[in-house]
Amino acid sequence: MSIGVSIGGGALQVGAAPDLRVSPLAKRAGLKAAERRIGWLFMAPALVAFAAVILFPFLSALGLAFTRYDLQTPEPVFIGLRNFSEIAASPEIRQSFVVTFVFVSLATLFTIILALAWAIILNQPFRGRALVRTATIIPWVLPSTVSAFIWAWIFNSRFGLINAAMLELGFISQPVAWLSTSAGAMTAVVISKVWISIPVTMTFFLAGLQSVDREQIDAARVDGAGDFAVLRDHVLPHLRPVLLVVIVLAVIGNLQQFDKIFALTGGGPVRATTVLSIEVYRRAFDSWDIGMASAVGLLWVATIIPPAYFYLRHLLKGV
Amino acid sequence: MLELSSRSARILFAAAATALALFLFSPVYWLIASALKPNAELYRVIPTLWPQDPTLIHARTAFERGNLFLNLRNSLIVSGGAALLNTILAAYAGYSVAKFNYPGRRPVMILLLSAQVLPFGLLLITIYPVMVGTGLLDTHLGLILASIVFALPVSTYMLYSYFSQVPSEMIEAARADGAGELRIFHTIVLPVSIPAIVTVFLYGFMWSWNDLLYSMTLIVSEDKRTIGPGLLLNYLNETNADWGGAMAASIIASIPIVVAFAFLQRWFIQGVTAGAVK
Repeated sequence: MSIGVSIGGGALQVGAAPDLRVSPLAKRAGLKAAERRIGWLFMAPALVAFAAVILFPFLSALGLAFTRYDLQTPEPVFIGLRNFSEIAASPEIRQSFVVTFVFVSLATLFTIILALAWAIILNQPFRGRALVRTATIIPWVLPSTVSAFIWAWIFNSRFGLINAAMLELGFISQPVAWLSTSAGAMTAVVISKVWISIPVTMTFFLAGLQSVDREQIDAARVDGAGDFAVLRDHVLPHLRPVLLVVIVLAVIGNLQQFDKIFALTGGGPVRATTVLSIEVYRRAFDSWDIGMASAVGLLWVATIIPPAYFYLRHLLKGV
Repeated sequence: MLELSSRSARILFAAAATALALFLFSPVYWLIASALKPNAELYRVIPTLWPQDPTLIHARTAFERGNLFLNLRNSLIVSGGAALLNTILAAYAGYSVAKFNYPGRRPVMILLLSAQVLPFGLLLITIYPVMVGTGLLDTHLGLILASIVFALPVSTYMLYSYFSQVPSEMIEAARADGAGELRIFHTIVLPVSIPAIVTVFLYGFMWSWNDLLYSMTLIVSEDKRTIGPGLLLNYLNETNADWGGAMAASIIASIPIVVAFAFLQRWFIQGVTAGAVK
């Protein structure tokens, strides 16, 4: 699928061919050099900005990962791999990897399942569908702080909606302080992230669903295929390429997630929701241990590289 | 598109649709309902599902407490600036890759796109000392410059795919008429690409408006603070119990971005999904 907005005013008239005074070959060589130069000129502003706020910071963090650079050490001192051996020996940081793994797996799994279901539902004709589709986008565009407030209020230990519902239904007899327990905080963080991710994930599936072959389904129907058989044998296989991209994007997004978790739990209680993004932030901006923060950050990047590789390979097919 | 033939499928479908709709929309409803309830109604273990006695008192206290107006104004400056800068950079870069054939454009594109997968938090570690060194820490300009990180890669890709569809004949014709390259881009390519430009502007705006990490780290003074950290520092701490105010302030902070999306949603969705579902 490409951007579906058509180019307006396409009926521009082609002007008369220019009078060629130089030989066509020399002209073409000149054009090529000019094209190269102008191409780079157009690219230059973005490249400068890119180098300043992305490439340079990344490369310096890469270098700092091999130094001691903290409050006691005002200038970075090269210490080889010592930060990494310290990481390997630290149960705290190991726990951050485990927490990240749990968060990313759960959030990705539920996002994919629920977004797929919601896309299939929104692909069915019903009254008010356009409105529902538009409204679906809301969780995704809300500021991080706002979505964190909403879920913190819903999971509130004294007046929260979850406690009220579970008390009414008899699942619990006392209000539970969800955000103060490890499992409760992780549940809240996963649920809120899934809630935020469904809209955009759903859109990818919906785009895929709209190109499902009608005739193929009609033919299957004539052959007596039931609803679930059609779904299993015709609709879902059609979505496989989209599914791969969506999973990769969801994994990358969840690995990078900081704002929503930080605003909702701050990484707590204790370290129960301290994923790598929060680990790096705390080490850098709470304890000002830049060397360690960079080293953890480097390992964090390493976890993102495999899904990123698949994503970029897919995206760059056309360039 | 999938006419359901069996009753069990229809029941399952209706149940799944109801459950998912509840999950997606009830938190938003709860945000609005809670903002409208007076305190006596808000703080109950078993809440009322519908505000019995709706009030706008929380919206008023939200404006009185903290610097909501100032935060909104700062966010507007930073997000507007970041979106503008991002759109300009992405437009030139996207055009370069789409319409100029030179060796190096593919590696450059890979480099730009790979930035999308770098964690923002890691970059911040070294952006921070640079901001301190250049005197840009705690300035809106510094935050605007750093905000390029969020949207530049995807924006460049979005505009690249859009510009690729602009017929090259239009550009060739203008060249033959002797128009300069910049003029061609500004007067021929950009005017037919308004939808894509608006989409990318909005995309950059949204990232910046919704950001917490950079705006809470790179802005220190209270009077320059943007809406994300502003809300967080005002409401989310152990001693605060003003949930009504937090909900009302949240709604106010969300209105600009939600309204923008309501109008531009169609363009936007096409733009964002374009890259991934080719």
